Amino acid sequence: MKRNSLFISLVLALALFALLPLAAVQADGHCEFADYTIRLGGLAPMSAPGAVAGGVAMDWAFKQAAADINADCGVSIDGVNYMIEVITGDSEGSPERGQAVAERLILEDEVDGMVGVYHSAVGLATMAVMEANGIPTIFSEPWNDNVSANGIMEFDGRAPRFEDGIDHIFRISPTSSMVGSVVTDWLIELGVEDVLLIVENTDYGQPAADDEQARLEAGGVSVTQLDIELGTEDFVPILSRVQAGEPPDAIRIVVTGETSFNLTQQMTELGIAPTEDTICVTNQIAFQSEQYWATVPDGNYCAFNRVGIIPSLFNDTAIELNEKYEAAFGDIVPSFGMATYDAVWMMKDAMERAGSYSDAAAIVDAIEASDITLSQGHYYFSYGGHNPDLPEGTPAYMWHQWPDPIVTVMQYFEQGQSALDAAVIYPPVYQTHGTSYIAPGTSP
Amino acid sequence: MVIEDTLFVLWLMVAGPLWAAVGMFVLPQVNHGKEEADQLPLTTLRVAGVIGGFALGPLGVGLFYFEPHLIRRTTLTVGVIVTVFASSQVLARVIDPNLPSAMWLLLAGPLWAALAAYFIPRHYRQLEADDRNVLTAAALGGFAIGPLIFGLMWKTTPRVNRDWMIVLGSLGAWQIYTIFAIQNATNPCVAAPYHVTYLTQQTANGIVIGSIYSLMAVGLTLIYSVQGIVSFAHGQLYMVGGYFSFYFLLHGANIWKDLTGQEIVINPLWGIPVAAVIVFLIGAAFERVFLKPMHEGLIERVSEYAILITFGFGFFVEYTTLAIAGPFPQRTDRFIEIRRFTLQRTQITDDFAFGPIHLIGDRAFAMVVGIVLIFALLYFLQRTWTGRALRATSQDRQAAAVTGINPTNMNTLSFGMGSMLAAMSGAALIPIFAWVPWVGAEMVGRSYVIVVLGGLGSVPGALVGGIIVGIVEALGAGCHPDPSRGAAYKEAFALVIFALVLLLKPTGLFGREQH
Repeated sequence: MKRNSLFISLVLALALFALLPLAAVQADGHCEFADYTIRLGGLAPMSAPGAVAGGVAMDWAFKQAAADINADCGVSIDGVNYMIEVITGDSEGSPERGQAVAERLILEDEVDGMVGVYHSAVGLATMAVMEANGIPTIFSEPWNDNVSANGIMEFDGRAPRFEDGIDHIFRISPTSSMVGSVVTDWLIELGVEDVLLIVENTDYGQPAADDEQARLEAGGVSVTQLDIELGTEDFVPILSRVQAGEPPDAIRIVVTGETSFNLTQQMTELGIAPTEDTICVTNQIAFQSEQYWATVPDGNYCAFNRVGIIPSLFNDTAIELNEKYEAAFGDIVPSFGMATYDAVWMMKDAMERAGSYSDAAAIVDAIEASDITLSQGHYYFSYGGHNPDLPEGTPAYMWHQWPDPIVTVMQYFEQGQSALDAAVIYPPVYQTHGTSYIAPGTSP
Repeated sequence: MVIEDTLFVLWLMVAGPLWAAVGMFVLPQVNHGKEEADQLPLTTLRVAGVIGGFALGPLGVGLFYFEPHLIRRTTLTVGVIVTVFASSQVLARVIDPNLPSAMWLLLAGPLWAALAAYFIPRHYRQLEADDRNVLTAAALGGFAIGPLIFGLMWKTTPRVNRDWMIVLGSLGAWQIYTIFAIQNATNPCVAAPYHVTYLTQQTANGIVIGSIYSLMAVGLTLIYSVQGIVSFAHGQLYMVGGYFSFYFLLHGANIWKDLTGQEIVINPLWGIPVAAVIVFLIGAAFERVFLKPMHEGLIERVSEYAILITFGFGFFVEYTTLAIAGPFPQRTDRFIEIRRFTLQRTQITDDFAFGPIHLIGDRAFAMVVGIVLIFALLYFLQRTWTGRALRATSQDRQAAAVTGINPTNMNTLSFGMGSMLAAMSGAALIPIFAWVPWVGAEMVGRSYVIVVLGGLGSVPGALVGGIIVGIVEALGAGCHPDPSRGAAYKEAFALVIFALVLLLKPTGLFGREQH
């Protein structure tokens, strides 16, 4: 008797299991998909020494974008709906590894486009692979100016990286110069006289610091730079050295990941900054307020640069995306998560307008002509093959570069405060609390 | 000015050695027949002549002639250190940093070190004298006192004991300090009047973090001493120890509330024994399943197997943790609510003040935890039957087995305890650092340096090695002429020490020679 019951249960379970795909079809019944699935390669650092936390957020954004697009009947080309899939490749934050993974995605997985990339070093290294194979690419996080600058002309006295120019690479993250200019303008307007830059020794950190240093010095600010290696945990000897000298007016941390958290926390523990004398300006990752307060419990009154749309300006897409991210990770969606999500949608949009998922030239033309509003705002490209002549004085990095990423300076002013409630203090047009700096111990 | 300074340096270079030579040969002769002097060995008289002549010229030789009772090892040691320190301070204050004389000092040290390291050990071997530590002593001595080391070690071939090493090492350190002071007069490590405070601060920083380094390295060395293998999973066990503490604190309070209805806040200190027990069991189980066959002769290529299996175990632990805990950094509450201890500034004289010295509260607490645990381990190893059995097994497995000790159990115990020590250091540091699944990578590299520096298999060596590495890193980062490079190369300073130890004393500071 028992055996019969078990057998019937098993048969029923198998039957239910077999019916599941039918149920799924029923759920997506309003869409009919072609057999072919459009594949995009997604490069993200999924293991150390890369910024794994960033990679995991990007990987989530790849999959969420693909799921949302497929729920919306996928990529529609000439009346045929294609499902889209993003295959994540682990760059490990390493240029060599990034190149190898990009090649594998292109040659073995035969992807139709590439999206993602977190580290500038990986972006710079993989550009050649995508370019050589004619793969339309939208980078969503590398900041190094040269990612978009080297493609068209001599930049900063250096010859172009590729003789034939870069046709296939686009970027929707800001450049280091864009980010640096906001922070430095803010510090100059505050009237600081000397700044200590603590900088990670990477392809992101060094150019960004050079740019910020040049801008600050042009504004009459004295700058000292300290380089550190990513992955360092103990900064106390270095910070003791800082403490032994005259306190600078501001300490600017150009360091990413948990290294940034360790550095900021140890700085606060030693009482170096934020203080009445010294402003603390940490990295954009401080926007991840759950992570920030978990690892920098003394970090109240630290300012940080925020890349991407500010919470008060979130549109419906951004709000919806943030809710999904919070449900998955319990924290606010980071800017690179939003940009990565948008990059997949931009690729879908371009393929639809190009009328092809495989005609790289047509897709590139379509991306150049993008005119779409997604979670981070309205996307378009001012300069590219359709408009190759940059006016005098326009930086070379504006080629295939989204010109309008929002960069702000934000500041926490309450212990454990959510980034959604933190004050936007610069530029004035985005200020939320009517002040450009909240002194430690005060409220706006 | 340039000419005067050059003459001064030349005087130091020529007159000091000249009077040292005079003292070395003359002092024993003129002392002959004196009752007190006759009680002193000839070697001691020669050394006294060298030091007295070099330090004070004819005055030094005369002093020892008229007051031979002053010729004692302590006097001579102090004399050498004071002389070199005084000379270096004079040099540092007088010489322009750009003068060639400073460069001469910079180059002469390594040159004499190389010459001494090459010739003196050969000479010892030719004489069939005891040549233990001679290479190290010759190199250190050549670096510190240049050609004088030949006078000290060539003619008399003294047995080089620990006192020698300490004296010569101190001299070498002073030499480096001198060159530093000349080349980088504004460096916070040498610039008066705050350099004493600054050096104390950095040394304290090094000791604090070094104590935790030691705890982790002790585990590694314990495994090596008993099993003869290096655990490549040590960093991951350190990491997972931190996570066990984190999750215990996270869920422990909730479970307690469910059981008793009372809300409590659990101090991270309690996470340490929890992590210790769990990781001990994990380590012991791993040893039983994967390493035991190695000791039973079931594995053909033991060395390769040990590397691969522990490496693979490390990968498994790291990526399993990543899958469970995620990549986002975590941290527990503080051990203590005191953010930092500050020794306030004290005015000693009109020109000199000491302080302030800052120590971060949680780090100081973790240091105390680390030191207590290491001494508890030493007590266990020295005073308990099981600890003695472990040591016996590490010395001679077969002999230990004959006396009734089960080497198989000792293997399991050593791996479990080694893993446990790694986990305890992780649990001690999770309130201090942002914790991620790959946090052990940096720490384990440093542990290898420490165990080699202290001597593979030596627990006291790991303790001292950890503190040395901590201090070297702190002073390297804090004193490097270029602050930026000092910060960037912080981890590399320990590797320099590592390379020097491998070169000069391959057995490490406390290591046993393999026969």
